[in-house]
Amino acid sequence: MENFLLRNIDNPNSADIGEYEKSGGYKNLTRALGMEAAEVLEEVKASGLRGRGGAGFPTFMKWNFAKADPKFPKYLLCNADEGEPGTFKDRPILEKNPHLLIEGMAISGYVLGAEHGYIYLRGEYPAAKDILEAAIKQAYEKNLLGDNILGKGFNFSLAVHQGAGAYICGEETALIESLEGKKGQPRTKPPFPVNVGVWDMPTIVNNVETLSNLPLIMEIGGEAYSKIGSEECPGPKLFCVSGFVEKPGVYELPMGTNLKDIIYKHCGGIKNGGKLKAVIPGGISTPVFPADGIDCAMDFVAVPKAGSMLGSGAVIVMDESVCMVKVTYRALKFFEHESCGKCVPCREGTDWLRKILERIENGFGREGDIELLLDVVKVMIGRTFCPLGDGAAGVVTAMIKHFRNEFEEHISTRKCKLSEAN
Amino acid sequence: MITITINDKEITLDQPMSVLEASRQAGIKIPTLCNHEILKPYGGCRLCVVEVERMPRLQNSCTLIAADGMVVKTESDVISEVRRGILEFLLINHPLDCPYCDKAGECELQDLVNKYGATAGRYKEEKRKVPESRKDQIFARNMERCVACTRCVRMCHDVQGSSSIAMIGRGGHTRMEPFTAESFNCEYCGNCLTVCPVGAILSRLNMHSFRPWQVDKEVETVCSYCGVGCSLIAQVRDDSIKRVIPKLGLGVNKGLLCSRGRFGYEYIGSEERLKTPLVKKDGELVQSTWSEALGIVADKLTEISKVNSGSSIAGIASSRCSNEDNYVFQKFMRMACGTNNIDSVSRTGFAAAQKYFEDLLGQGITGNMVDGLKHSETILVLGGDPTNVNPVLGLSIRQAARDGANIVVIGNAGGLEKFKTVQVVPHVFEEAEVLESLLLAVSKEKGVRGERPFVDKELRVLADRAPKTDVEGFEEAKKALLESGSTSIVMGMDLVQRTDGHRLLFTVAGLTYLLEARLYLLCERPNEQGLIDAGCVPEMLPGGRPINISDFRAKFEAEWNGTLPENDGLTILEMIEGARNHTIKAMYVMGENPAFNLPDSQSVKDALSGLDFLVVQDIFLTETAEMADVVLPALGWTEKAGTYTNLERRIQLQKKVVEQTGGMEDWRIIAELSNKMGYAMNYSETEDIMREIARVSPLYRDLSYNEIAQGNCLWPYHGEPLRGEVNEVPGMHDVDKEYNADFYLAVEKPLFHSGTLSRRSEALMKIYPEPLLKVGGSTAAKIGLQDGDRVQFTTSSGTIEALVAIDDSIKDNRVYYSNNFRSGGVFSVMKFNIDKVTNAPGIEGCEVRIKKL
Amino acid sequence: MFNDTVINEINEIRAKYPDRKSALLPALYVAQREFGWLSQEAMESVAHALNLPAAFVRGTASFYSMFKHKPVGRNVIQLCTNVSCMILGAEKLVDFLKTKYGVEPNATSEDGRFSLVIMECIGACGTAPAMLVNTDFHENLTEKSLEKILDKYK
Repeated sequence: MENFLLRNIDNPNSADIGEYEKSGGYKNLTRALGMEAAEVLEEVKASGLRGRGGAGFPTFMKWNFAKADPKFPKYLLCNADEGEPGTFKDRPILEKNPHLLIEGMAISGYVLGAEHGYIYLRGEYPAAKDILEAAIKQAYEKNLLGDNILGKGFNFSLAVHQGAGAYICGEETALIESLEGKKGQPRTKPPFPVNVGVWDMPTIVNNVETLSNLPLIMEIGGEAYSKIGSEECPGPKLFCVSGFVEKPGVYELPMGTNLKDIIYKHCGGIKNGGKLKAVIPGGISTPVFPADGIDCAMDFVAVPKAGSMLGSGAVIVMDESVCMVKVTYRALKFFEHESCGKCVPCREGTDWLRKILERIENGFGREGDIELLLDVVKVMIGRTFCPLGDGAAGVVTAMIKHFRNEFEEHISTRKCKLSEAN
Repeated sequence: MITITINDKEITLDQPMSVLEASRQAGIKIPTLCNHEILKPYGGCRLCVVEVERMPRLQNSCTLIAADGMVVKTESDVISEVRRGILEFLLINHPLDCPYCDKAGECELQDLVNKYGATAGRYKEEKRKVPESRKDQIFARNMERCVACTRCVRMCHDVQGSSSIAMIGRGGHTRMEPFTAESFNCEYCGNCLTVCPVGAILSRLNMHSFRPWQVDKEVETVCSYCGVGCSLIAQVRDDSIKRVIPKLGLGVNKGLLCSRGRFGYEYIGSEERLKTPLVKKDGELVQSTWSEALGIVADKLTEISKVNSGSSIAGIASSRCSNEDNYVFQKFMRMACGTNNIDSVSRTGFAAAQKYFEDLLGQGITGNMVDGLKHSETILVLGGDPTNVNPVLGLSIRQAARDGANIVVIGNAGGLEKFKTVQVVPHVFEEAEVLESLLLAVSKEKGVRGERPFVDKELRVLADRAPKTDVEGFEEAKKALLESGSTSIVMGMDLVQRTDGHRLLFTVAGLTYLLEARLYLLCERPNEQGLIDAGCVPEMLPGGRPINISDFRAKFEAEWNGTLPENDGLTILEMIEGARNHTIKAMYVMGENPAFNLPDSQSVKDALSGLDFLVVQDIFLTETAEMADVVLPALGWTEKAGTYTNLERRIQLQKKVVEQTGGMEDWRIIAELSNKMGYAMNYSETEDIMREIARVSPLYRDLSYNEIAQGNCLWPYHGEPLRGEVNEVPGMHDVDKEYNADFYLAVEKPLFHSGTLSRRSEALMKIYPEPLLKVGGSTAAKIGLQDGDRVQFTTSSGTIEALVAIDDSIKDNRVYYSNNFRSGGVFSVMKFNIDKVTNAPGIEGCEVRIKKL
Repeated sequence: MFNDTVINEINEIRAKYPDRKSALLPALYVAQREFGWLSQEAMESVAHALNLPAAFVRGTASFYSMFKHKPVGRNVIQLCTNVSCMILGAEKLVDFLKTKYGVEPNATSEDGRFSLVIMECIGACGTAPAMLVNTDFHENLTEKSLEKILDKYK
């Protein structure tokens, strides 16, 4: 399949509007503005597009909820806070293909009747901020943003809002809070953002990749789009592969590509001919697959069936040299660091889990620690305010499930063999 | 109608609410640490989980909206297990220092662990360490105990609107801190204390001094500080007040308090209290006995009334005393001393304004519910800072602002700085021009209302004036007022204390009339309204009945069994003038301190020193008492019972809480004197007096303590307001004065002080220990002043040295200084003119020079 | 407090949002640029410029790990040690920075040249281990390349 989302990214000037237009850019916006918003929405429906942020919620449904709310103005927020460790799929769009996103947002704004858009960009991407802002300026100059876009009577303003280092702001209601100048702590749902979002107005929050699919849907039509990749969740998908593979990086592949193929076909197999030990399929808050569990289609339906989640499509590949206790400990250190502190199970649970894991990894494990870890996890699962705590708990559960022997060994030998070897 | 079933009990709800609220309403307790009745749901603690039929997993009842047909279980083994788990989590980093912690015994966490917790924890790791903060003088902050429920922060931000504290950090390292992380430097309302479920924030006032279970009794009473009249609970141990707390849902304040109400109670136990009568002998006040002191007073007053006539005697009543005290006082002055010279310091503000508004718009025009403010679309605030003068009323304005109301402020916004939506800052002392223009603009749009012909007439006269509309914010203010479907006007007394005060009052009356607005007068003292209702004004008998109408005279003469004096009475400034020119020979001052609380206090002192005889009854030896011939020790708040009427005209009961020996109730002193002087007063308790008031006062008709105790006795409860009204607006007097000095001195009304009482309350003195000269940013820049600079400021009548505090909410060239501290109050350097219409002092245009030291 | 130029900049930012509170994060970035870190004065200046309560400003600021709550060195090394970087040797780089440049995590070297902040994923996992120095990305780090890169930051 020809790259669409990553089209042109090898061109050093790919972020320039001229280059973008050369390869057909903004024609799709023109096409969309030539149609009724409802017609475009029908195309989105036909495309079967699902949100690429991690949950895989059907985009059409979300949009329909927001459109149905009579309150005005509506806001379109782009979630460019890709913070899930292992994830770097949106960065090439933001840095190399910003006009694709801008075009996608303008089309979405038109469909939704949203006149204002914001790109919530993670603080860790300072270069992307400048690139996006320069691109937005170019788009304004060509009346592809602003008032009465291309003379079609549609107004759409767009601005970049820079986050400042908080993983939780990837959660859409936390993102909204953060955009409002507050701490990024999730809000109670319902009400959902589609009804009461930023500044209490109907708000649609979509991932960078999701919005960047809009021009493609316009280009080839919803029907054709729905034929790409998996039947239940079609379209191209960005997979970002890191760790022990020969060719790590971002790959645009049809949704549903087999994980095994991603690792061995596209990424050239395990680095230095090493032996595969484990794969985290969708960023570190998704449960780990052991080496024999990777024969799995990567989409929003098949991965959960196999016991994990597609998440952000961030594939982390680990060979036999990697200590799974240490990975678990590092993951929990991350969750503890990023827990927003709002709800007790996540705030205290991640703290407790991290402390136990740190002890085990450092050779101070005790008899009963594994059971204690699982007990602590039990209090967290299903009880936290948002998925962050659930994710943390799920990581521990899966790691113990698949690599219990490593935990036991740490405890009984009171050391980490692999860390010592390294 | 929504019907849900909770624990097999069917509950019908008349409005949408959460399952937790529905349970609470039905008396079913669901445990929670982050939810609080006063606050919005938060959903953080996860303790309030419940089982709901046909829902897959446990639900948080605080954020789950009750839906028709829902079947809920609040207790089960599964639920208990979850709660046990959460509580174990909460304890992992919580120091188990209950034996030392003051909260033990009323700690929500302790209670919950007791009920749901495991007997032993499994946590073997290190606990988080946060050093205890000892920097604040009022609050003790222990963040190891904190459970991060954020109730305190939500209270401070969403209810108090002070936003002085925040949760700092993220995750497990979150802790509550004030901005500087040290001293709170906040409004010190202490409402955070009310909501903290654990011992993370505690008051230093009663640190380690008692345990909650050692409280001997709790008495529900009413605050003694301002005219809002907040309900509170005094907790007593060993006959002394240990703590004052509010009670959820109770009274005007519904669980909220301000700094004065919560922390200002210590004055009552002050060492400086008067214990025995004092009599001046050879120029010195010496201890005396009740019989000697009362004998001297009775003899002297009798003599003066006989020799010089009653009208050479004057009485000053007190807005700090109860309705009963004041009623007895005016009856004594009129019937025993034979004079209508009865007034109070309230004449300098509230009483003057009240009379003006009632004359124009009818009795009761200012009797509006504080709660009503919250429902306003536009609130016009002028003449003072509600958040300082009547803090809890101020909260309703802030609430309205949060709910989207327009807050239109004329002048400096003070505590509404972050809540105002429109501000008009007229050139100093040109408020009348601007307000008249605003009134004119409104009347053009609204047309003639026709209900008050004389007001309509005056509006037409106004139309000839050249409007002054070129002030920033004028158009927005006009728009906000004209487009509002529900308007409130909140007026402070700075507008009254002006030579052209009546002009300003007319504009407020006009706006109230045309916009059909609710008018609220800020009320600095607890019983300014009750004092008027009790008849402590020269021209009116109890119940606001004009004394010069013969029907009323006759009725009261029959009730009181005697003859009312004929002469018109004097207002307070006229009395002082009378003392100066010796037409007033004797003055009886009850619970008031005119030598300090009236402007140009030195000249007031000079005038009082010319009296033949001065009696002061008070709880402290005030500046006025020091000059007296006889000083009679009275009882104070919580030492006696009595009713108070707040600014809404809500009649409330102050109860006796503690015993005090030495003093006597104000009314009892007066009654004894009256009996000695031959006018019989046979009251054995305050309720006897209320029975009489309920009989003679048309406004308090049939009121009984029983009814008052049940709450919601709002004027005119059974009574009838007077429908008669004046037929003309007193003529407008222009003040021909140019106001172009660099700086003008004005009176600060600080949040933490209100004079005699607050300056003897240790906690309040710690919060605000000495008066500061408050200057705005531009003033500071002009003279090169910085926070904490020492300056000398001089007016035509004196010089004061003080420290400077820069206050960015001051936008004009006024500088503010308070009159609430022991010596050298701002009144000592302010001269005044009298507003001929209201008889209030005009203290505007007080030029001041500031010199940096 | 801010000078007029900065106040104007903040007013321009403010115009991008329907309310003043929403301009807080960008304004804090401006303050951090002006003051080097978010000192009490920096936060008070923001509070003043946006008419927000100072404690609220501090509460928000304290939540985000990219705001600096204490003074930092001339160059800030933001090194990722999250899983993808860790398994490819990021921790060794932390040790290397300690021995070679005397800079510990969340601290500043004595000469004030470097501050080290441990990051939680900077989106360079495919080129791990990675870091940001000030606002520049550096990827595929080894001890050797690290030394060469840091040479450029004085």
